[in-house]
Amino acid sequence: MSFTRRRFLGTSAMAGAMIAGGDLLGRSRAWAATEMKWTPEDGASLQLLRWKRFVQSEEDAFLKLVAAFTDATGVQVEVLNESLDDVQPKASVAANVGSGPDMFWGLYSLPHLFPEKCMDVSDVCDHIGSKYGGWAPSAETYGKSGDSWIAVPVAYNANLINYRKSAIEEAGFSEMPGDTEGFLELCKALQGIGKPAGMALGHASGDGNAWVHWALWSHGGYLVDENDQVIINSPETEAALNYAKALFDSWIPGTASWNDAFNNKAFLAEEVWLTNNGVSIYAAAKRQAGEDAKMAEIAEDMDHAFWPIGPSSTPAEFHICYPLLGMSYTPYPNAVKAFMQFMMEVENYEPWCEGAVAYLSHPYKAGDDFAFWDADPKLVAAKPAAWRTSTAGHLGSVGERAAAALADFIVLDMLANVCTGRQTPEGAMKLAERQAKRLYRA
Amino acid sequence: MADVTRSEDHAGQKRTAKSAPKEMSAWSQLQTNRNWLGMWFMLPAGLFLILFLAYPLGLGVWLSFTDARLGRAGEFIGLENYAWLIGDFTEGWKFWEIGDPVFWLSVFNTLLYTVVASAIKFGIGLYLALLLNKHMPFKAIIRAVVLIPFIVPTVLSAIAFWWIFDTQFSILTWMLQEVGAIAEDYQVNWLGEPLMARASVIFANIWRGVPFIAITLLAGLQTVPPSLYEASVIDGATRWQMFRYITYPLLTPIIAVVMTFSVLFTFTDFQLIWVLTRGGPVNTTHLMATLSYQRAILGGNLGEGAAISTAMIPFLLAAIMFSWFGLQRRKWQHGEAND
Amino acid sequence: MTDATPSAAKDDHSEGMQYLETPLNRVITLWIPLIIIMIVLLFPFYWMSLTAIKPDKELIDLETTHPLWTWSPTFKHIRILLFETEYPTWLWNTMSIAMGATILSLIASVGAAYAIARIKYRGANWVGGAIFLAYLVPPSILFIPLASIIVDYGLFDTPFALILTYPTILIPFSTWLLMGYFKTIPFELEECALIDGATRWQILTKIVLPLAIPGLISAFIFCFTLCWNEYIYALTFISSPSNKTVPVAIVTSFTDGDIFRWGSIMAGALIGSLPLVILYAFFVEHYVAAMTGAVKE
Repeated sequence: MSFTRRRFLGTSAMAGAMIAGGDLLGRSRAWAATEMKWTPEDGASLQLLRWKRFVQSEEDAFLKLVAAFTDATGVQVEVLNESLDDVQPKASVAANVGSGPDMFWGLYSLPHLFPEKCMDVSDVCDHIGSKYGGWAPSAETYGKSGDSWIAVPVAYNANLINYRKSAIEEAGFSEMPGDTEGFLELCKALQGIGKPAGMALGHASGDGNAWVHWALWSHGGYLVDENDQVIINSPETEAALNYAKALFDSWIPGTASWNDAFNNKAFLAEEVWLTNNGVSIYAAAKRQAGEDAKMAEIAEDMDHAFWPIGPSSTPAEFHICYPLLGMSYTPYPNAVKAFMQFMMEVENYEPWCEGAVAYLSHPYKAGDDFAFWDADPKLVAAKPAAWRTSTAGHLGSVGERAAAALADFIVLDMLANVCTGRQTPEGAMKLAERQAKRLYRA
Repeated sequence: MADVTRSEDHAGQKRTAKSAPKEMSAWSQLQTNRNWLGMWFMLPAGLFLILFLAYPLGLGVWLSFTDARLGRAGEFIGLENYAWLIGDFTEGWKFWEIGDPVFWLSVFNTLLYTVVASAIKFGIGLYLALLLNKHMPFKAIIRAVVLIPFIVPTVLSAIAFWWIFDTQFSILTWMLQEVGAIAEDYQVNWLGEPLMARASVIFANIWRGVPFIAITLLAGLQTVPPSLYEASVIDGATRWQMFRYITYPLLTPIIAVVMTFSVLFTFTDFQLIWVLTRGGPVNTTHLMATLSYQRAILGGNLGEGAAISTAMIPFLLAAIMFSWFGLQRRKWQHGEAND
Repeated sequence: MTDATPSAAKDDHSEGMQYLETPLNRVITLWIPLIIIMIVLLFPFYWMSLTAIKPDKELIDLETTHPLWTWSPTFKHIRILLFETEYPTWLWNTMSIAMGATILSLIASVGAAYAIARIKYRGANWVGGAIFLAYLVPPSILFIPLASIIVDYGLFDTPFALILTYPTILIPFSTWLLMGYFKTIPFELEECALIDGATRWQILTKIVLPLAIPGLISAFIFCFTLCWNEYIYALTFISSPSNKTVPVAIVTSFTDGDIFRWGSIMAGALIGSLPLVILYAFFVEHYVAAMTGAVKE
């Protein structure tokens, strides 16, 4: 085991520098002959439904990976794309009627919405985990239901502070403040110089949830405790709400209607100078840099940072996990497992991740050695996403209840209620507590 | 319409009189076969509705009495879902306190949305129909062009509206700034403030709904015989009187059908809200349909989502009853009296 | 009937001759309001067209370029739409699904409306009301139980999944609309035909339907457009890219994660609507002609 791991780490470093198609195909045939743990059923073919990529080069790399798998095993894999928001209804229907694509690649705790309908993939995850230095703790939480793995936590989308260096310097800060108080000061100063910050407070499942959970957790407020008892109504939560209100007031007006797409646009148009997002804004700016001088300037001037640490003194970050699950109705469970194994093998995984330009972060230790993390210092903040992130339930379990709380925007609405001045912190907490208690009822 | 009936009345009477002896037998034959005939003609529609609707409808209602989740049949829990949403009235009567405030907010939003949007759609639709009914050049082209908002797929026009109502790049804000209605640096918060967001989504709904209402009412207007107007002009009627006493009564049956459906479709609207606001800001634009989707599909609580859907039934039923027993039926009986 | 007409005559006032409009009057009562309404109705449409041909960077630039116009139109978005996606296939799918579902619905509705309005079998009124119940559970949740039926019947991911489910939302409305029109056709016409030995079927096809053409067109426009627009069923019952309909496929193809490719989305919406605009332009003309014809007969 350790021999293969070393060998692959060696080759992958080279592969990372240059993705050569022929090389990949040759290697994958060898892989199918020697390393493949599950032999696909005769005549197997698979359908995989995934969310629509953020960056074209990621999709290209992914399709290359899929083609290599087909070449090596003879299993056809049809890749279907749906926009981020549409994956869940499709998976829900498939789980409910027991028919549809064999694999779904979705967001957050998707597999925990219907754990009984997910294939048990413990053997794949144990194999990959032990081969590549172990899973990040959050990956284990997301992937496991009880003691068995119901999904492969393929990757994370790091949600980071995106900011313009020139703006924070103009506001009188030499670097991004690392604590919540300093961060608030920065936002106020940015407002003062007319280059405001702004984060999504609409029903935005990605960016919105990321920052509201950071605000809550960094102040030591939590929805539930270790035993899934609702503890949202607390002084810590109240502090978080007051803090969020202060932040909100310093931002550009209108963030209460923003969803995941608004901040990208606003940042590139220089309407906001600090926001939270994946690294896709940077990627978009860089892509257009050749034809547009302003984009080149933005790409040059922007950077990413970790979320500030608050009174709870621990990182309170919430990165999006992308779990891949096999449906229990598939007639080809071994082919599914073989594909999962293939996809997570470092020599396939690394070039693909590189294509994603750092908006996918690895879930296992071996990924720390990926060469592309050294390529661009502005992307380094995305590297430890799997280790810095908390999971959907934070202290509590990641299960269908945590998934429901997230889908129902309980925390987000609580903050939005206070920020927009519709309710007092007490009232908002009470409401959230009531709703959470219902979801977490025995 | 009335005129058609009348002129045909005469023609019919003439012919009926001519063939009076055969009439009885034909009619009695018809009487005996009537129920069977009716069944044959109903068959295609009946098959569709039973095969594709009866079961899901029944299942939907059943789900609302269970704690079903995605991919897992639930157990019967009686009225628990309803007690949670609407409130357990053994605990008091302040439903906004004992029930789910978000649910009640969505009920309020839905009613507001339906009433305001339908009323305005009706007003503008009727007005536009009256305008289009006048003689003008390029009549056909103008009439077809008016239908455009109805033709563009809702989800795509909603995306366009989303862009128009953007906080930072709204073309509306820009135009208001250009004409000096608002300050140069002021950004209208179209979808970010509760009141504004409600107005914005209602506007988008009206925009989409007016053309079909206008065109259908226009079709109705075409049937009003010009001779009636001519007669009333000779009698010295004002324009308002002509509308009130000729146009409006003759149009009532079509108005009833169109408005009933407009109300039903507005009440169950989903796409527009889902694209524009997802029910935000802070649930102030959440409709019952969007809330049920959020709870059932995104949150996985099928039972509760189904209960929200089922809670829409009484409202829809009321709208149907109103149309059926109020407007529609009265008019039809009226028409039947003519036969 | 117009029992109200005499009362209109009784309320005689001196302004009766207002009916003869002066040109100025006509501008104020007709053209100004009509133009205002048209502008409001068409502005979003104009905005979509403009977005479809604007270069990307002008979209979020309200200062250096004029947002209501572009001097450097690009056909990039339209080219991407037409040649780099399966757009023609999606358009064809949408057309054929909408056509199939509409024709099925109209056939079913004509039968049902005729039976309820004209044959008047026992319980017809009751059934007329009951048909409405189809709208009681909205599609936003109905699609989950409906999906199991689709799978049971083996229709999943085929065009028939949509062709056969859309009528459930179309039949009630068209039935009601047609009932209204059938009622306006005098009974005597039918009686005569019955006496002359015509069957019910002949009466329906030879007498009633030709007279109800405006109603049929109205119902057609409604049904076709609703199919054209439908999103949730089309999203959940179809999974292969080559079977998708325009609205679903456009949204999927032109959103990259959290970035919308506005130009192509709008181009897709517009080019997809073009055939309908032409079709309806023809229909609406016919609509009016048919109406006048019905009155004359």
